[in-house]
Amino acid sequence: MQSEAAVFEGRLHPLTLAFAAYTAVRRLILPAIPLLVFSDRRLGPAILGVLFVSALAQALGRYFSFRYRVEGGELVVRQGILERRERHIPLERVQEIRIEQGVLHRLLGVVDAQVDTGGGGGPEATLSVLSRAEAERLQLAVGERVAKVGEAAASPNEAVVVRRLGVGELALSGLTSNHLVSALALAGLLWTLLDDFVSEGALRRGAGAVFGTTRRVYEQDVWSTVALTVLGAALLLLLAVTFSVAGAIVLYYGFTLTLRGDDLGRRYGLLTRRASSLPRRRIQVLEVEEGLLRRFCRLATLRADTVAGRTDGDEPKDQWRGVLLPIVPRAEVEELLPVFLPDLEPGPAEWRQVSRLSVRRGTVKGAAVCALAASASAALQHSAYGLWPLFMLAPLYWVNLRRYRHLGYALGERYFRTRRGWLSRSTHLVPIRKVQEVEVRQNWFDRRLGLATLVVDTAGQAYTGGGPLVTNLPLEEARRLAATLARRAQRGMAHGSTRI
Amino acid sequence: MVSGEESQTIEPEFRPLDPRVVRLWRLNYLVGFGVLLLMLLAGAVTAVLARPALRPWAALLWCGTAALAGWLSYWRPPRLYRAWGYRIDAQVFETRSGLFFHVSRLLPLARLQHVDLERGPFERIYGLSSLVLHTAGTHSASITIPGLDAGEAVRLRDHLVAIGGDDAV
Repeated sequence: MQSEAAVFEGRLHPLTLAFAAYTAVRRLILPAIPLLVFSDRRLGPAILGVLFVSALAQALGRYFSFRYRVEGGELVVRQGILERRERHIPLERVQEIRIEQGVLHRLLGVVDAQVDTGGGGGPEATLSVLSRAEAERLQLAVGERVAKVGEAAASPNEAVVVRRLGVGELALSGLTSNHLVSALALAGLLWTLLDDFVSEGALRRGAGAVFGTTRRVYEQDVWSTVALTVLGAALLLLLAVTFSVAGAIVLYYGFTLTLRGDDLGRRYGLLTRRASSLPRRRIQVLEVEEGLLRRFCRLATLRADTVAGRTDGDEPKDQWRGVLLPIVPRAEVEELLPVFLPDLEPGPAEWRQVSRLSVRRGTVKGAAVCALAASASAALQHSAYGLWPLFMLAPLYWVNLRRYRHLGYALGERYFRTRRGWLSRSTHLVPIRKVQEVEVRQNWFDRRLGLATLVVDTAGQAYTGGGPLVTNLPLEEARRLAATLARRAQRGMAHGSTRI
Repeated sequence: MVSGEESQTIEPEFRPLDPRVVRLWRLNYLVGFGVLLLMLLAGAVTAVLARPALRPWAALLWCGTAALAGWLSYWRPPRLYRAWGYRIDAQVFETRSGLFFHVSRLLPLARLQHVDLERGPFERIYGLSSLVLHTAGTHSASITIPGLDAGEAVRLRDHLVAIGGDDAV
């Protein structure tokens, strides 16, 4: 065991205490107001004092008892005074190391580090706060050991920059993200602010004034009303776009994607700096996502899921964590893929289409909706003009045809790909050795048409929009495909070359 | 695209569950619906006490629900039983199930994380067990095979544990 002596050991940065005090103050501010206002003069401050001191004592205990070391292929984290807890994290199981730096952290040169192994229920070890140098040392040590275990590293110390995003590209990413959602969110926010800060009487008077002016303008000139409305909408949209662009730049500023040995490194953020290193063989699913606007600009977003992205049913709020590359021209995606998935079969994928019945099926479904809408509107308007929804039938057929043409799958020796959607598209790549389970589902309509849906389950599908799925496959084909996938997954595991 | 070596494997026939599971499911249904019907009865009695005019409607509604529940508990279990099947070969464990929604699920044996053997009080009455196979997956991280003969379930579990289980993800 002599050779397995500790690579290094360390403890938290003394500033941990300052941050703990800061957090305690921030947490106590809200309860402090009613306590100070409503309780008597001595009790309120006393309670607050006790709460603050206990929080501080906890932080002191944590600071003085916290030790970590890298030793014998494990990261060992020890803490606690009364109840001592020692956690051994095998380095070969580390899925991701994340480093986060808020504005305060940056001013003081410290970071928060999180080590994730995908055990469920959040990160396995949170080291908060460390000095930046210490965190980098930890990241390097863990990365090296992981690489050694994985036998995949060529030159672990050289980081190759794969991609760097400039402000222009980030602005483009903000421009092509979903504006409507942000516009609505913004309007909602403004509304609540208005509600909070303006008294009700003033609000009513203001609303009255606005209505009065609108009515007067409307009576004078209809066109200026229309122009005002359009202008207002345009202003709101502009505001939303500005927010969206600013948001993208603040979140992803200086986005750099690097490759060191087998570790994919991401580093970004204008205010809060974030860095994470992710061994690429940990990728469970990779998604090429082309949202509505991005698709028409021929742009895409790359997302990936690791086991660490496993949440129990909840949609994660930190969607950016799964983003491998926020924006990339669609044409460059194919040549970038081998960077993330080194054993991807070379050459273009052989896409296979699903049953053509899917066009008929989608059209019939849409036609039913159209017929309902048409009869409802005709009944309401008491005239044949109400039947206009029926004119949607032709475009409906066309959309379904386009969707059918894009729906499909490609089965390779090591990778399985699916793609779906027409207006906004999404393509999934799954390493077959990561397949956990394959399902063939048939609902009542499927059974009538002899079709089925194939679902591939992997560990962690939180960030890649539900994972790979192919609908409208002929049943026999779906069954054969499922059996092939399951057998290849088993074989990939049994061979051992792809174990970790 | 399915290469020869994979289609060569001869797939065994689906095995049915233990026939006793039909009786177990009927009992489960009766108990579940029984609780529901009792609650409904309590509600109906309260309503009738408050407004006696409602009596025929309440009686009709309750009897209708009871009849539906009784018929469902009689009708559904044997059909579910016929829909259920599982098979296992050297590589893959497969189940199929569902009356209206057919689902077949294939689990590569190396993906098995752990196996639970469950025996509820009713299952014990009939000498049955449920086997729960866990994977590290997201949507369907476990597969439950209900109503296996207790001895058979233990044998199956031991077999699965012996061949499966390389949990590196």
